[in-house]
Amino acid sequence: MVQDPKQSDQAINRRTLLQGVGGAGVVAVAGCLGDDDDSDAPFQLQLEVNADNSDRVQMVELIAASLEDTGYFETEIETYEWNTYTGRVLDTEYAQNGYIPCIGLSGTFNPESFCNALHHSDNHGQCCNLVGVDDAELDDMMDDARYGMEVSEDPDLRRERYDDVWHHLAENRYSSITHFDLQTAVTSTDVHGFDMWPFAEGMFSYALYSPQEEQVAWIDRDNEASEDADLSDIEEGGTLHGAIAANVDGFDYPYTSDTTSSMSQFFIYEALTASDSEGNVYPWLAESYDILDTQDIDRLAYEDYMITVDADEEGALDTEEQIIVQHPEDDPIGDDEVRVLTPEEASDAVDDGVFGMQFRYELREGVEFHNGEELTAEHVVASYERYENSDISAQTFDSVLHAREVDEYTVDVYAQVPDAEAERELPIYIYSLEQADMEGGAVDPREGVTPVGTGPYELDDFSDEEYVEYTKFDDYWVEQQGVDSIDWFDGSSEFPDGPVVERVELEIVPDDATRSGALQNNEVDITYGLATSTLDDFEASDDYIVHGVETGGYEYIQYPLHVEPWDDERLREAVNHLIPRQQIVDNVLNGWARPAWTDLPELAHGTGTVDHDALEDEIRPYNEYDQERAEELLEEVVEDHDLN
Amino acid sequence: MSLRRFILKRVLSIIPILFGVSVITFALVHLTPGDPIDQMIGLNPDMTRADEAQLRARYGLDGPVWQQYMTWIGNVITGDLGQVYSSGRDVSWIIQARLPETVALGLFGWAFGLLIAIPTGIYAAVKKDQFADTASRFLALSGISIPNFWLGLMLILIGSLWIGLWPVLPPSRQPLYHPEMLWYLILPGITIGTASAASIMRVMRTSMAEEMNKEYVMAARAKGLPERTVVLKHVLRNSLISVVTLAATLTASIVAGSVVVEFVFNWPGLGREFINAINQREINLIMGITLFTGVFIILANLLADILYAVLDPRIRYD
Repeated sequence: MVQDPKQSDQAINRRTLLQGVGGAGVVAVAGCLGDDDDSDAPFQLQLEVNADNSDRVQMVELIAASLEDTGYFETEIETYEWNTYTGRVLDTEYAQNGYIPCIGLSGTFNPESFCNALHHSDNHGQCCNLVGVDDAELDDMMDDARYGMEVSEDPDLRRERYDDVWHHLAENRYSSITHFDLQTAVTSTDVHGFDMWPFAEGMFSYALYSPQEEQVAWIDRDNEASEDADLSDIEEGGTLHGAIAANVDGFDYPYTSDTTSSMSQFFIYEALTASDSEGNVYPWLAESYDILDTQDIDRLAYEDYMITVDADEEGALDTEEQIIVQHPEDDPIGDDEVRVLTPEEASDAVDDGVFGMQFRYELREGVEFHNGEELTAEHVVASYERYENSDISAQTFDSVLHAREVDEYTVDVYAQVPDAEAERELPIYIYSLEQADMEGGAVDPREGVTPVGTGPYELDDFSDEEYVEYTKFDDYWVEQQGVDSIDWFDGSSEFPDGPVVERVELEIVPDDATRSGALQNNEVDITYGLATSTLDDFEASDDYIVHGVETGGYEYIQYPLHVEPWDDERLREAVNHLIPRQQIVDNVLNGWARPAWTDLPELAHGTGTVDHDALEDEIRPYNEYDQERAEELLEEVVEDHDLN
Repeated sequence: MSLRRFILKRVLSIIPILFGVSVITFALVHLTPGDPIDQMIGLNPDMTRADEAQLRARYGLDGPVWQQYMTWIGNVITGDLGQVYSSGRDVSWIIQARLPETVALGLFGWAFGLLIAIPTGIYAAVKKDQFADTASRFLALSGISIPNFWLGLMLILIGSLWIGLWPVLPPSRQPLYHPEMLWYLILPGITIGTASAASIMRVMRTSMAEEMNKEYVMAARAKGLPERTVVLKHVLRNSLISVVTLAATLTASIVAGSVVVEFVFNWPGLGREFINAINQREINLIMGITLFTGVFIILANLLADILYAVLDPRIRYD
């Protein structure tokens, strides 16, 4: 047994009475922790997991038990404190250890988030290609499904290409996604019309008002809510009391973008576009938008505009400027100097017509900020500048090249390369001019700076660690202009021009048992993040409604394919057949999740596959629990690798 | 040595102690894996290692640990405890904002503990080996054994959900000094006070029982003094030394806060903030709260020493 001094001492030995497997002694399999003389199993493996996630640990225990049931495996489970664990698995050397890591990630509407992070060779040593998958064909397939002229102009082609990716992954099985998480919230029956958004960040803002899906929630304490809300029953006014699970670190999105901070900011700020729960994009603060130009370039096209900056040993660059593009052939960690494009040179490149895509947004006129400013192109450009060198600048400026004012109500935003995700990736939250130039993080009510946006609610009061309160913004542009003024809106005439709940008061309650108690005691109308056993109790009660929606959160294990015999895809396929996905969902998560029969959750169906039902028919057989098939494959591997 | 010199010496000794505490805490925080940047970016596929390095450099977390410590201690000496990385809030602002909450809760719990413990301890000693003594021992053992979080949850279940006398969430819009807040301090105060009451009660009882066997007690009784006077005037004063020491030491917990109780009762105090700081690897906040608590613990021990002298003039400070 290989021991790592950094490992926790909490090793769960799952040695069971193994069934006899084809004869005599044990052959220590190279790379398979096989120096235990007592073992009869051909495959000895170590599964690794972070100890603080009990569901994940139980899931790994189930997988281990399932593997051991075949008699082919002897397993060990090692648990680690979270930071130790991430430091360990993100190390490039980890791939050589032969361990099987288990971890969870959150994806978005972008199908890439369910394949790229785990499998692209660029992500080895960072999140989250933990085992060093290095499949050039797959890299190209994933890149070609997102970038390039063809897919950025043809969504159907993009879907086809992603279908190829899912098939390639099923056939090669570098990882096994076990299930997709459900995001849940519980409301009292005083809350009517509530519906879940697939990401916690937008939970309240989506439910309160979202014309994209004719979504509106209201408070009616005299009548009980039912699952099917009727717009004709809408009650205006009232206060929604909620409990959120952590403090609001700040209201300055580029500098505080954790879940509860984002949740609290989305009442206030809006972007040029909005999304529905399937990821379809709608013009919002922009009345309309178009792609004016797409050019077949890659990031090397900016080479002539780049300047050279020094890089230290860790890879930090010696510049105060935002790095827009880094030369693809330079390595900040290995090289002393790196060629980069900063905002000034990006502007020069755009002047010369060098860019990937040009989006033109026609802004809606008459949109008022909470401080009375009127939205113009200047606000949009200033907001992009506010994102520079912020905490989220890396993910913002991996797509955005430049933003430029065309006239008072027209703004062009340029993407670095032809990018099928650009439509979703480019828009950001728009700041008032009063606050766009402030120092990072300075938009902070604790310092007397009340955040200002164009959103339907204004911040009324905030007490650190205690509560945050909003009140409706009287001059909200949708109320002023009417929801019918939005070109794409074709909903019911009864759908209101803006949210109907007058006030929102959110209590900051980190302990989930206390949140649950506050809901039971009618002190709050809504909360979320409760234990699955608690959810069952609420669901059994007539006084509460449990809402659930599939999110982009997923759990997966990865196979150490650089270590024999894991380089044999039949072994990986066999283990994949032994993952009890349904059992994990039923027994560990009490049904509050969905088994991952494909690698694609519902929220990415729109852009990630031509036909999800067909895809599931084709891929599901690879992922079904099938002990018989697994044992056939294992027997073949044992014989071919002479493991008996 | 005069009491004044003794106090001065002890106050000056705070400096090297705090220096030691700061070095050890700083080292421990840095020995544990992860830093605020790790927490900030989480598992983010969009962040390259170079991006991480850039963020670390921006927040001054890229130098060697000793260099980071020197920068930090240099700032502390000038009165700047630094900022929280995730929100930019000043550490001193946070301590200032959270401290009253914790002190209110701690004081209430401490007072409740003493109020229960001293009479019960006296009664148990007077009724030594009788039913009352056994009952008090059982209660003390229960008080020490019951985990705070369980007791807290039970009190919420009974007091809030069953009887409905208290809300689950304390009224956060009410200023802390509002008389009404006393009512809301009862449940968390009982939870905190129970454990300290148990230990004080046992010390009180043992110390009283010991004194009761001494000759001066027999002499007092022989003089014909009523039992009440013997116990409350003579025995109690002599028994109080160890209780006062313990009670003074427990005052440190008034500031350190009860993490679990603050969590369960959603009390926004220093203890809850400290746990957040550890989870988020907020080095400056961890260091700030540790130093602050360290000062208070030292002062509490100093208070115990001074009270010694007041209660027993025979004690000398050599």
